[in-house]
Order: sequence, then C-alpha cells, then structure tokens
Amino acid sequence: MAIKISQWHILRRDIWLLSCLTWIPVLLAVVIWGVFSAGIAHDLPIGIVDLQHSQLSRKLTQSLDASPSLEVSRHYASVTEAKNAMIEGNIYAYAVIPSKFDQDILQHRQPQLSVFFNSQYILVAKLINSAVTQAQGYFAAQLEVVGNLIQGDTTTLSAVAQAVPLSTQISALFNRNNNYAQFLVTAIVPAIWQICIVVSTILILAAHFRVYAGKSGFDFLGSTPNSRLASILSQYIPVFMAQGALYLYWFYALLDWPMEGSIVVILLAQFVTIIACMIMGALFFFLSMDPARAMSFAGAFTAPSFAFMGITFPTSDMSSLALAWRSLLPISHYIEVQVSQASYGAAAAQSLSSLTPMVGYLIPLSLTARLINRHRAAALTRRKEEAA
Amino acid sequence: MTLWQLIKAEFRSILTNPVVTLTVFGGVVFYSFLYPLPYEQQTPREQPIAIVNLDGSQTSLKLERMVDATPQVKVVTRLHTIADAKQAFLDRDITGFLVIPEYFYKDLMLGRSPTLAYAADASYFLVYGTVVEGLAQAGGTLGAQVKVSKMVIDGVPIRMASQNYSAIKLNMKPTFNPTMGYIEYVVPAVFVLILQQTLIMAVGLQTGSQRHGRGYWSRVSPHALMLARTLVFVAIYYLLSAYYFGFSFERLNINHIAKASDLLTMLLPFLLSCCGLGLWLGYLLPRRELVTLVVLVSSMPLIFLAGFIWPVESIPPPLLWFADLSPSTWAIKGLLALNQMGATWQQVAQPWTALWALTALWGGIAYWMAKRHTDPVVA
Repeated sequence: MAIKISQWHILRRDIWLLSCLTWIPVLLAVVIWGVFSAGIAHDLPIGIVDLQHSQLSRKLTQSLDASPSLEVSRHYASVTEAKNAMIEGNIYAYAVIPSKFDQDILQHRQPQLSVFFNSQYILVAKLINSAVTQAQGYFAAQLEVVGNLIQGDTTTLSAVAQAVPLSTQISALFNRNNNYAQFLVTAIVPAIWQICIVVSTILILAAHFRVYAGKSGFDFLGSTPNSRLASILSQYIPVFMAQGALYLYWFYALLDWPMEGSIVVILLAQFVTIIACMIMGALFFFLSMDPARAMSFAGAFTAPSFAFMGITFPTSDMSSLALAWRSLLPISHYIEVQVSQASYGAAAAQSLSSLTPMVGYLIPLSLTARLINRHRAAALTRRKEEAA
Repeated sequence: MTLWQLIKAEFRSILTNPVVTLTVFGGVVFYSFLYPLPYEQQTPREQPIAIVNLDGSQTSLKLERMVDATPQVKVVTRLHTIADAKQAFLDRDITGFLVIPEYFYKDLMLGRSPTLAYAADASYFLVYGTVVEGLAQAGGTLGAQVKVSKMVIDGVPIRMASQNYSAIKLNMKPTFNPTMGYIEYVVPAVFVLILQQTLIMAVGLQTGSQRHGRGYWSRVSPHALMLARTLVFVAIYYLLSAYYFGFSFERLNINHIAKASDLLTMLLPFLLSCCGLGLWLGYLLPRRELVTLVVLVSSMPLIFLAGFIWPVESIPPPLLWFADLSPSTWAIKGLLALNQMGATWQQVAQPWTALWALTALWGGIAYWMAKRHTDPVVA
C-alpha cells in the first residue's frame, strides 16, 4: 500500500524548494544580466604622462580620449605616480609621451609612445590594447597625410593612400557589435539554470524523505521505488522546461538578440539536459542520503561548469583531461546546441548530434537505481531488527 | 570549560563532521586542481582559418605565408569563393577567414589602398580576438613593407625608410601579467572566492549541524563558542591559504610577489569576516544544506561583480553595493594588488579597512543571531 503523495503539500512545507523553483533562478539571471547590461565597455579610465606639453602631444591625448573605449581621466607628472594609480585601480592604463616628441616627429626620428596597461584584467586589457592601437594608427596616419600634402605634389586621396597603403574591414560574425551581454549572459544563464536543476532535485528528494519518511524512510516509495521516484521527479520537468523557455524568450524575443536557428531544437536539447541534471542530482543525493553532503557534491560538480563550457576559453585549446571533465557536465553539451542554433542556424540533426554523448548518463542512472535499492534494503533490515 | 578545552572539543568536532571535512579539505584541494584545468594552455593559438585569395599575385601569396607564420592563426585551407568559406564555417572547420580582393597587387602599387576583409566568429570572443589580432598583425606588417619599398623607390635610403614608415612607434606594454596568460588572470581571483565560499559553507555547516542536538556547545556561552569556532577555522584556513598562495601558485607559475607577512595580514580580516558570514547563515537557516545552497547560488554573481572580469565602471552601482557586502570583493582587490601588482601596504589600506568593517558587520550580526538561537532546533 503506497502513501498518497502531494507535491503541493511538499512545496507548502518547503519554502526553500519553492524559491529555488521560482524566484531564485529569475533573480540570479537578472543580476547577471544587470552586470553586463552595458553590453560594451566604454570610457575606460586611462592616464597620461605628458613629458612634452605641446600641441602635438595634446592632439595625441585628444585622439586617445576620442576613442569610445577610452577616457583620459587624469594627467600624471611622473611615471611612478601613474604606475601607483594603476596599482590602486584608478586607471587601467597610462600612456607616456616622451619629451622631444614634437622634435622627433618633425625630424622623422620616430618617437616612441609607450602605453602600459593592466593585463591582469584580460578583457579590459584587450579592449585597451586594440583601442590604443587604433587611436595611435589614426593619429600617425593624420600626421603622415599632412606631411605628404606639405610636399605639394599629391592630392588628398593619394596622400591618404600613401600613409595607409592597406585598409581593412573586420566583420564580427554572429555578434555584430561585439556585445558582451549577448556573449556572456547567453552562456552564464544556462550554467545557473543547470545549478538550479541539480540543487532543486536534491531539495525535492530531501523534502520527500523528510515529509513522507514513515517508519523505514522508504515507505512512501512503495514496492517499486525506482519507477515511483521517477514519476515523482518527472512532475518537475515542466517547471524546469518553463525556466528554460523563459530565458530563451527573454534573450531572443525581449532582448532581441540574433537567433538564426530554431527554438524548438533548443527546447529539445533543454529537455535532455534537464533529465541529465536530475540524474546527477539524484546520484548525489543517494550517494549518502544526506542532503548536506549531496549539496556539497552538487556544488563541486556544477559551480565551475561555466569555465568548462568553452565560451570564454575555447575547447580547442583545452587539455584532454579538461575535456573529459567537460563532457561530464550536462550543460556543456547543451551549450553547443544553443550556439549552433542561435549563431550558425545549423541543421537540426547536425546540431542535436552534439547531444549523443549524453547517452552516457545512463551509467549514473543505473548507479543511482542500485544505490536506491541498497539504501532501501538496508532500511528494511534495520526496521526488521528493531521489530525483533 | 576553559577556552583551551573548548577549542580542542571544537577542533575534534570539526574533524569528525564528515560534511565539513568534505567541504573544507575535499573542496579546497579538488578546486585547486579543477579550476586551472581548462586554461592550462594559457592563450589560444593556431586558430584554424581559411584564405580566399581572389588575386593570386606574388604579393598576395606572400601575405598568405605571413598570415600562416603568425602564432595566432593557422591557414588550414585555401578556398575560391566567400560562399565556400561560409560553408567551412558552418562545418566548424575554420574559425575565421581572410579575403584578399581581386586586383590587390595592382591597387597596392597604384596607391589605391585595397581593402583586406577579415571575418571571424564572434560567438567566441577569445577566438575572435585571436584571429583578428593575427590577421591584423600580418596585414600591418605587409602594409609597412609596402611603404618601405615605396620609399626606397622614391629614393629614400633603406635604413631611413625602415625607421620612418610610421610617424610614431607604439610600444604596448602588458603590465602585471606580461604574457596575458589566462591562468594568471582567472586563478588568483577565483581562488580567493573559493576560499571564502568553502569557509562560509564549513562554518555554516558546523553551526547548523550542532543546532540539531546538544553537546559541549550547549554548555558554553555563544560568544565563547563563536570565538573558539572562529579561531579553529581561521587557523585551518591560514594553512589552506598557504597551500593556495604558496604551493598552488608555484605549481601554476603564477606571480606571488607579496611579502608573506603582508598576505597574512590581509587574510586575517578576510577570514574573520567569512567566519562571521558563515556563523550568521548557520544560525539563520533552518537546515544545514541550505547554507551550501545559498553559498552555491551566490558564487556566480559574486565572481562577475568582483571587477576583474567586467570593469566596475560599466556595472550598475546598486549591484556593486551588494557585492561590497561580500568579503571576496575586497579581498580580491587587495590580494591582486599585493600579490600580482606589487602594491605597497599603503596602497591596499582601503580594502583592508573595508574587510575589518565587514568583520564588524557580519560578526555583530552573527553574535546577535547566536544569542537568540541558543536552544536546539527540533527537526
């Protein structure tokens, strides 16, 4: 005889589970979006050490300031002062304009503009590097064009061509304006979603064993514990699907980020991912039947998953050990489908083929089933002994 | 019970609490190997690209070789149309391509500045940046060579020409992380957060475990218990910090230029304020697994709010106020400055003071909570 189980009862009894299924993931996603909502980092503060103080050096300062990524926030009298300001975090870079700057330019002695930038913060460092290179190139080209025109035997157009013999056109495919929000939020939010699924699965199981424990702890699962448990957990799949669909709607409809492929394919991948995450959550729970330990395992497993997803650091440059760990994480398979659909608009079959390794989650599934049976058998013998 | 006896009892209780030892020793050691794992290669190199050469001249072939010679990219295929390149993209054979236009050489010689078109996959920014950097480098070098050869044709001596192809020379100096390595970027900051999160969890779990029963902890006053617990955990975490900032940094070849005494001084208020947070959560939350839950879900926002990934100038201020309540935000700032950038002690006075303020804040809240929760919770 099985005990009647009501999920409403469970949710009413466990406010934390209810929160994990509802507002916590939404709040986390909104915070992450808030962090990157600017999309593009602009006006990064830099310093200038102008040892020349001339019209040309001021013009160079202006062209650095004119770059949308940079803002000349302060002038420093010496390199030491500027370096200290960089250590203290007031500026991300400083440019040193040498003395005799004008003289060297006029005499074609190529003065050196040194720019020291804080490469501890790589993302900012890369932005500053390209912005300064661009601003400097523009400034140098301007000087040369003027120089060429002074000679008097050229037109403006050919003076420009002499200064810039090659021009370039750079296309950022699939993320046209280099929007960091689109780049990072579409990967971080799925990583958070994965954490929430694994954690909620553990909370669901813990709540059942707390609320419906009965005498042996396993009474509520009746005589077929595995299928009973599967049917309990499957009732939560729609909740996780709703979370997944919600963030897809938010990214690709409300924020209107480019979506080349089909949402249906992504939803399909989400479904598989949810099952994989729930299997892992159940495995962690039944390893010890102690929710606290299970939560620690879940943390160790899911917390670093963003680093392994291959969005920030490419998978092609990861070692095989890193790739092995990566393939254990459900979300890294999912993200490949999401990127191939959203960016490349790949064919459904081609895209879903990246989910095939997820067949491997049958192994933790069978392990979990075995663990459940072992715990149940142990609980039943314990009860018999107590009765005797 | 004397304080010394209490400390001994507390220490024994921590070592025999499996969930605490798992979190502290398992977690910290496991993460020290796991986190740096994806970044072992430091910078992406030799990204596969294609070249669509519509010109076929000697100069364009030279450009192809120059592109291939840069460490950032590797030419894996030569294609004839842009459509082919697009297909290669979708098949994931390449991550970018370069189009050399028709009449490239002719336009170059006639001074009509032909346009080189680069395209790269911006779904992966690091890949994109690497490919564009490699292509721009090769293009820039060719441009300079063309200029020099034109100047030589115009009768400028080669030595002067090779110095004068640009009006000013730019010298970009990456400072503090000269190789722009990814491990040096991620690990020093993330390790601080790992120390904080595992410490909060461990203190919270220990506090939470004891609230469900009676023992030596029920016989002492809350402030004595808090003091003993904090002392034991700070001692354990000093050892673990030494493992991170000493052994692990050494193993990963990360700069560690701070004096040991400076590091230890900076760590003290950091560890104390984390203990305060852990005690507070342990007393506040009804079940101990919820401590882990709260810590786990807060990790991602905290790491992205710490200011080393995304510039704080671009983050909305209310989110930063929230991040300021976390010791990690200040500790990352202070420890990066000391250990990576070689700051003097005066330069990290602000984060150090802030950490002491957080110690007072979280310690005070924890004490207030502890006094209200002396009776055991009946589960």
